[in-house]
Amino acid sequence: MRVLIVEDEQSLAMEIEAALQKNHFLCETALTARDALNRTDTGSFDFILLDIGLPDRDGFWLLQEIRKDHTDTAIIMLTARGEVEDRIRGLDMGADDYLAKPFSLLELQSRMQAIIRRKFKLNDNAVQLGAFTIHLKNRTIAYQETEISLSRKEFDLLNYLLLHKNRPLSRMQLSDHLWGDNADDEYDSNYIDVHIKNIRKKLHGYADTDWLETVRGVGYKIKTPS
Amino acid sequence: MRLHTKLTLFTVAATIAVLGLFVWQLPLLMQKIASDNTNKNLREQREKALKAIQENGVNYYLQGDSAYGSYSMLKDEYISLEPYPRGTGWAKQKLQTAQRIIDDDTITYRILTDTFTISHQTYLLEIGKKIASIQQDSIALQRATISVLIVLTLIMACIQLFYTRHLLKPLGRIIRTRLIKKTFPFKEPRPALATSTYDFKYLDQSISQLMQQVNHAFEKEKEFTSNASHELMTPISIMQGKIENMMTDPDLPANAVLKLEDTMRIMKRLKKIVSVLLLISRIDNEQYNRNDQVTVKPMICEVLEELQHRADEKSLTIEERLLGETILYRVNKDLLFQLFYNLIHNAIRYNRLNGSVSISDAYQQNRYVISISDTGIGMDAGESERIFDRFKKNTSQREGFGLGLSIVKSIADYQGIRIEVHTQLNQGSRFELLFSENHLQK
Repeated sequence: MRVLIVEDEQSLAMEIEAALQKNHFLCETALTARDALNRTDTGSFDFILLDIGLPDRDGFWLLQEIRKDHTDTAIIMLTARGEVEDRIRGLDMGADDYLAKPFSLLELQSRMQAIIRRKFKLNDNAVQLGAFTIHLKNRTIAYQETEISLSRKEFDLLNYLLLHKNRPLSRMQLSDHLWGDNADDEYDSNYIDVHIKNIRKKLHGYADTDWLETVRGVGYKIKTPS
Repeated sequence: MRLHTKLTLFTVAATIAVLGLFVWQLPLLMQKIASDNTNKNLREQREKALKAIQENGVNYYLQGDSAYGSYSMLKDEYISLEPYPRGTGWAKQKLQTAQRIIDDDTITYRILTDTFTISHQTYLLEIGKKIASIQQDSIALQRATISVLIVLTLIMACIQLFYTRHLLKPLGRIIRTRLIKKTFPFKEPRPALATSTYDFKYLDQSISQLMQQVNHAFEKEKEFTSNASHELMTPISIMQGKIENMMTDPDLPANAVLKLEDTMRIMKRLKKIVSVLLLISRIDNEQYNRNDQVTVKPMICEVLEELQHRADEKSLTIEERLLGETILYRVNKDLLFQLFYNLIHNAIRYNRLNGSVSISDAYQQNRYVISISDTGIGMDAGESERIFDRFKKNTSQREGFGLGLSIVKSIADYQGIRIEVHTQLNQGSRFELLFSENHLQK
């Protein structure tokens, strides 16, 4: 998938690019609005990550310009402003999502994944994890026909690990996702262990959960063959 | 006491004092004037009498008698002329008050006595004026003067009162428009005061200038906080991205991962402080709408769910006794969530093991009250006064209240929610949120 990163802060653009490349996205970077328009005129992208604060033109203007010709492209706005009105304005102008700086690259990828699922209507697809089936849309997990009840946080945790499957996520990254800005340093990372323990306990009665791995010194990951 | 009242009282008191003094001193004064006047009168009459005697000759009056006396019908005045015995020498002209018997009446007169010589004979001249009649005149005069004076003084006092009132009007306007019910930050500058009194004009200008300066400084501070926060966001983003990317490197040794985690944790703290500053600055800049409506119970249940794991860790009993269908209008959903979250979070965080947190609500008169009480460590009076201050730390605790309660205060103020804190050291705290009618009606 092709991604255009429109961000005037070169180091940030590079980090985003590096992270996305690992997930097999093809990335291009534009540092100015003019550069961005040149690239969108000549090529088509699946994603455009658009910083609102650009040196030459207003990001909202650029958003409108791009939207004129590219209705299929998913646009995620990135901004340090984060004002509610900006967010609403951006979404009204056709942005698909909005991330306020500073954001986690994992969060960015989660949002992109969510958009991909929406776009390709992958929502109903059940994901197979060992002997268990996860329905992302219904937010349920089942063993054969038996539905196993997980708490909201437990499901969120599993979902996030699944989204970044085969990649170890630290307790902090997980707690950051679960509690967002309300997360406490150190404090909440301990709950990740508690939640993982509970998930394992709930699932273990039905089948093996060796796909949910503890990565020593780091955190956890979901290992899938695919 | 208000200035106008003071001035009124002063005017009244001064008028009464002046009048009193005058009324007290008036008889003496009048007597003095009457007596001087009588003396003068008597002297003039003496001149006239002497002139008449010179013109007509003394015998014209004596007509063979040794003495002459004449008095008016009511014995108000008299004149007497008699030879002065030889050998007693000259008697000096003299004024005295003495009694005389006229037709068997003993009457007190003011008398002028004088001697004069005609044809080698010295005569004694006496001219008298009845004291009673002098006094009567003087009393009548006194009365008239006092009445006129009272009327004049009253008129004067009234004029003074009205004028002071008129004069002080601009001051009242300054107090009303500039000072009363002014909440910070001061909005819409008022037009300058129209007055011809320079002092008030100056006062008004100075106050308005000061307000503008304060406003300006506040704006600057807001701008700075907001800009600084924005500017910090991008570098933090970059650092976070770098660390995240480094951590995905599978060849990274375990101890390096731990160090990166540490760095990340510190950065998270930085990020949190910056976002809180930004949140407060956005509230200060009124960037949140206040048009949402929120059903209280589900929102608090959501908060409780978010915090359940913390309550479990301390084995807290959470009692949620909310009435149910209360809907709040004209609030901001996100901010209200944050408000409940911070308060309940604190109730859990500062609680003791096996303690409890209770959330209840009630209608009191026209208000709706949500109260969140805990069995935690509580605060003493001094602390509870400072808890809403930004960055004030409660030293006895591991973590300060930091910005949590300062956010609570900002959010509550912004939405017109009143907060009351009831707390006792080691007994727990109760935070009450008071919603006015404005929040209860659609």
